[in-house]
Amino acid sequence: MSDTLRILLFFSALATGGWILYKIRKLQVKMQDAIFWVVFAIILFVMGVFPKICYWLTDLLGIMSPANLIFLVVIFLLMEKVFTLSIIVSQLEEKVSILSIELALRSNGERRNGDRLKEENRDQKGKEDEKHLEGNV
Amino acid sequence: MNLKLLILIPAYNEAENIERVVTHLTENYPQYDYVVINDGSTDATRKICARNQYHFLDLPLNLGLSGAIKGGMRYANYYGYDYVLQLDGDGQHDPRYIEDMVREMEKTNCDIVIGSRFKEENKPFSSRMIGSQILTAAIWVTTRGSYISDVTSGMRLFNKKMIKRFGYDMHYGPEPDTLAYLLNCGIQIREVPVQMHERIAGTSYLDFKNSVWYMMKMLFSILLFQWFRK
Repeated sequence: MSDTLRILLFFSALATGGWILYKIRKLQVKMQDAIFWVVFAIILFVMGVFPKICYWLTDLLGIMSPANLIFLVVIFLLMEKVFTLSIIVSQLEEKVSILSIELALRSNGERRNGDRLKEENRDQKGKEDEKHLEGNV
Repeated sequence: MNLKLLILIPAYNEAENIERVVTHLTENYPQYDYVVINDGSTDATRKICARNQYHFLDLPLNLGLSGAIKGGMRYANYYGYDYVLQLDGDGQHDPRYIEDMVREMEKTNCDIVIGSRFKEENKPFSSRMIGSQILTAAIWVTTRGSYISDVTSGMRLFNKKMIKRFGYDMHYGPEPDTLAYLLNCGIQIREVPVQMHERIAGTSYLDFKNSVWYMMKMLFSILLFQWFRK
């Protein structure tokens, strides 16, 4: 494992961690969604600072070189993120359609209520007018 | 008593309980206003509220507890309430302690009062209480010695300042991590001993998978994010 790769891992870990904490501070991400990126940064950090763990895992899994292992781990984590994001997006789409349906339903309900009230008022007024006329006769 | 207090009842699928809870409130405690937040229930909760003409906010989607509380806090702010008392829709909280809690708030001029099960008695030994104790310890460590015995209690009283924060700030979930953060901001939090009932019907939301995720969220938030959040 080259020193360049280790330095790269170390700094990308710091950058990822620092960036997500900054986003929390700016109120741009929910804390629960930041957990993934903190764990991601920790994994990069550990692989960069303790290469022995990488060598051990490389041997264990029968992978050619530690660099390949690092790529594999990063790809795996990113795949997992894409997978969960894809699920969340389709749930959000569903929620948006339910929201607009509910909005339409409720505004329809309000309009109908308004119409009914108007009609009732008109009926009442009509009856009063009739009474008035009868009185005149 | 001349105070504007709103009882906030978040309810998700509480069709079996909600009628009992609200009837108990309106018959025995008519001096308090209340609002039920129907959190997108899939059972008859909405119908029951509409039929009985309860005061209720009907959320079209299930937002979870923090969304329901946020909705209720905005409702309270909109109608100018001074205090909000959070009361669970399953009937485990007894409204007779409200007076104690309000008195404590007025006496000590604090911002949050928690109705605590363990102020005077010890926690029973169960997996749930081990979780609760871990969170208590995490708060104790990060706030340099503030002890909150019942961090997950759902019976809490908030003043006007807290209504605004919980209603409008992104990171303010009604959970222990927010309590830890607030303590470090110099907000006063007190506890008042209360007794809680077992829930009579329905099931709790926290199964094993959710509990593990919940604990992880809370520990990350209390131990790490707390120092960066606003």
